[in-house]
Amino acid sequence: MKPSEIIDHPFAGAYAKRLGVKTPWQGHLPGPKMEAWRFTPLRTLANTPFVPASASAEVDVTELPRGVPLIAGAARLVLVNGAYREDLSDADFGPGVTISTAEAFASSSRSPLALLNAAYASAGVSIDAAGPGLRPIHLVSIGAAGAEPAAFHPRLRITVAPGASLTIIESHVGLPGQTYFSNPVTEIALAENANLRRYVSVAEDSEAFHLATATISIAAGGSLEAFHLGLGGALVRQDITVRFAGRGAAARLNGAYALSGRSHHDFTTVMDHNVPDCRSSQVFKGVADGDSHGVFQGRIHVARDAQKTDARQLHKALFLSRGPEIDCKPELEIYADDVQCAHGAATGEIDHDQLFYLMSRGIDPATARSLLVEGFLTEAVDEISVPEVQALFRDAIGAWLKSRDIARARP
Amino acid sequence: MAATRETAAAVRDVEQYKYGFVTDIESDMAPLGLNEGIIRFISAKKGEPEWMLEWRLKAYRYWLTLADEEPGWAKLRFPKIDYQASYYYAAPKRKAALTSLDEVDPKLLETYKKLGIPLLEQQILAGVAVDAVFDSVSVATTYKKKLEQLGVIFAPFSEAVHKHPELVKKYLGSVVPYSDNFYATLNSAVFTDGSFVYIPKGLRCPMELSTYFRINEKNTGQFERTLIIADEGSYVSYLEGCTAPQRDENQLHAAVVELVALDDAEIKYSTVQNWYPGDADGKGGIYNFVTKRGACRGKNSKIMWTQVETGSAITWKYPSCILQGDNSVGEFYSVAITSNRQQADTGTKMIHLGRNTRSKIVSKGISAGHADNTYRGLVRIGAKADGARNYTQCDSLLIGSTCGAHTVPYVENRNPTAVTEHEATTSKISEDQLFYCRQRGMSQEEAVSLIVNGFCREVLQTLPMEFAVEAQKLVGISLEGSVG
Repeated sequence: MKPSEIIDHPFAGAYAKRLGVKTPWQGHLPGPKMEAWRFTPLRTLANTPFVPASASAEVDVTELPRGVPLIAGAARLVLVNGAYREDLSDADFGPGVTISTAEAFASSSRSPLALLNAAYASAGVSIDAAGPGLRPIHLVSIGAAGAEPAAFHPRLRITVAPGASLTIIESHVGLPGQTYFSNPVTEIALAENANLRRYVSVAEDSEAFHLATATISIAAGGSLEAFHLGLGGALVRQDITVRFAGRGAAARLNGAYALSGRSHHDFTTVMDHNVPDCRSSQVFKGVADGDSHGVFQGRIHVARDAQKTDARQLHKALFLSRGPEIDCKPELEIYADDVQCAHGAATGEIDHDQLFYLMSRGIDPATARSLLVEGFLTEAVDEISVPEVQALFRDAIGAWLKSRDIARARP
Repeated sequence: MAATRETAAAVRDVEQYKYGFVTDIESDMAPLGLNEGIIRFISAKKGEPEWMLEWRLKAYRYWLTLADEEPGWAKLRFPKIDYQASYYYAAPKRKAALTSLDEVDPKLLETYKKLGIPLLEQQILAGVAVDAVFDSVSVATTYKKKLEQLGVIFAPFSEAVHKHPELVKKYLGSVVPYSDNFYATLNSAVFTDGSFVYIPKGLRCPMELSTYFRINEKNTGQFERTLIIADEGSYVSYLEGCTAPQRDENQLHAAVVELVALDDAEIKYSTVQNWYPGDADGKGGIYNFVTKRGACRGKNSKIMWTQVETGSAITWKYPSCILQGDNSVGEFYSVAITSNRQQADTGTKMIHLGRNTRSKIVSKGISAGHADNTYRGLVRIGAKADGARNYTQCDSLLIGSTCGAHTVPYVENRNPTAVTEHEATTSKISEDQLFYCRQRGMSQEEAVSLIVNGFCREVLQTLPMEFAVEAQKLVGISLEGSVG
């Protein structure tokens, strides 16, 4: 590693000591010259003097923060600062689901943030699902700092047994007005013909950092349907890697972001096609207002043996004002010839013709803009196959739109 | 169909790299290696003024600080280059000053004939003025008089330094500064020759200007530098073709091309690059590390790059446009073909700074054998580039299951009124199309050549006529032996 590719990070250094193993990242975080992080600088994070969240015990959470939806029929699992809270969680997750808080387990991700997590995470939460008719799970991760900025490292493992089908909804939120750093690592393994629906909402506080790393491996015939929503935080990155481990596996990975103020949101995805006959599709949509910064980096890797791969990816983003920056880097890395791979990316502003069309029918400009933005994002939300969850995410976007003054007419 | 038959014939005829021969001419060479002495040697050889030497030395001293900064981000693998193991100057010995083509060493002329550019014929028939670079020194410049009458300056770079120092001083390094990147900095220190073009105000250059580059002397890196300035309202089309003889060692080629288009000017720059690609096992071949960049300085200016990259063991090349002037236009059309063990990492950068600037990128990558072919491109829209527009299309074709095709576009947008669009696809040759061609009596190779030519059509069409024919042949030749 060149010196220009790292930034010193005292806090990472202290954590690295706990890890015991030498990694190239010992004491460092990725710098701006590191290709995977060029659009998401970590300078502010590195300069914030975080303390481990467990050390700031003076803040306790006794109930769910406002804005966390209650999902009927779903069993709730609550983490506060990365630790499992039995008192806030449901006692019964229904037949077939086992929740255990084990010692930290190994993660396959070698990313610097996953290593940071490994160095610090005290206990992991495992969700093991098997059998038919499983109850959906609603996982709520709450960040709560005290007087000092706090960092925590949730570690989550989800396994779905052969033929089983699980739905999990994740809400990542924080107490308002606090600076915290959530660094979750999620390991998901889907066995043969297993099926997972995972819907993640990241709506952190405007001062919060959230850098999530998720790795999902799918065995033969397994399928993943995922939707990720990013609604804010000072610096948010959702790093998702899907590994196809058996023939006939399929993944639909979709997402949306809606940014305002000085929010920074980064979707980084990797579709790792290592075996033949797998399908992946991605649709990501984003809108950016204020002085926000939206990033999409999506890589599709097709290994030499992964013939008959079908991989598609789309990213579209809209500017809602003059301030934001939107960067995207869709990437195809293909070593097999009998494949169908395509990606598309586009950025621009609200179509004037569409606006004119609505206004010519008597709709005021504010409402017209709002309608168009909602319609634009809905295209991604429509990919969610569970109607209740779809409604939930639609409401979240609607609330974001209302909270923003995006409706104010601009030239 | 004439072109198709020609392509098919070329595929049949050419069994090997057909330009693999060495002209036996005694060279005037600098000692091996690179140091300040060598740079002074080159500068003295060229009889350069003091300011030019100073510029070279400034670049060299900066280059020394870049030891760790050799670009490593491209998807390329090659052993570390020993920059001290190369000769940085080689000029064919000349007996006396030449006044006409008749005095040019017949061996040199013979070489060009084998390359298919008979200078004499071209002078009469094609109306193309050729500034032929043989290794490092331009040996013959044709049609010069006629161009001079129009006020066009088309001269070897070393001559321009003497005759037009004010223009060279003003524009040299203004698009690609000496500190730009590792290879451009090296070039700035050791460049030996190249072409200099100035098109005066309001002139539409009546003929296509062309330079053929040739690497000849063993173990010589070729570092040429081209500077083209199109003054207000002018137009020029410039052709560049490259072939090199067969060698076992890898040879380094680090060129710099700078284009400047002022108000309402247009530059069309076409390249057919066919350096020696190495043999089937990846032995030998040219390392082609080239920095090409054009600045659309003036309003309504336009720069159009077209490249057909079939040669070189390694291609590292990103012809770019800086769209400074309002309403300026940048276009990039590329066909990159890699087979055997070739590696190409090529693309473009479109930097939108002015209002209503437009750019279009069409890239076609074809990968066969054990080759890797990467499109890498950047589209950046500055905060002030209101109404900017970009359209990018990258298509890759894979032939065989041991090659790779990669697409790495960067799209950075800071202006809400700008629209950027990027599309990329990767697939193999359609079985249906192959079947259709075979059914009509074409051989497998003819069929592939036809289909690939069709795949590249959009790009090949933008080439000037003379080049388009050669390029179509090359497409067929390049894939020869890698099909079926």
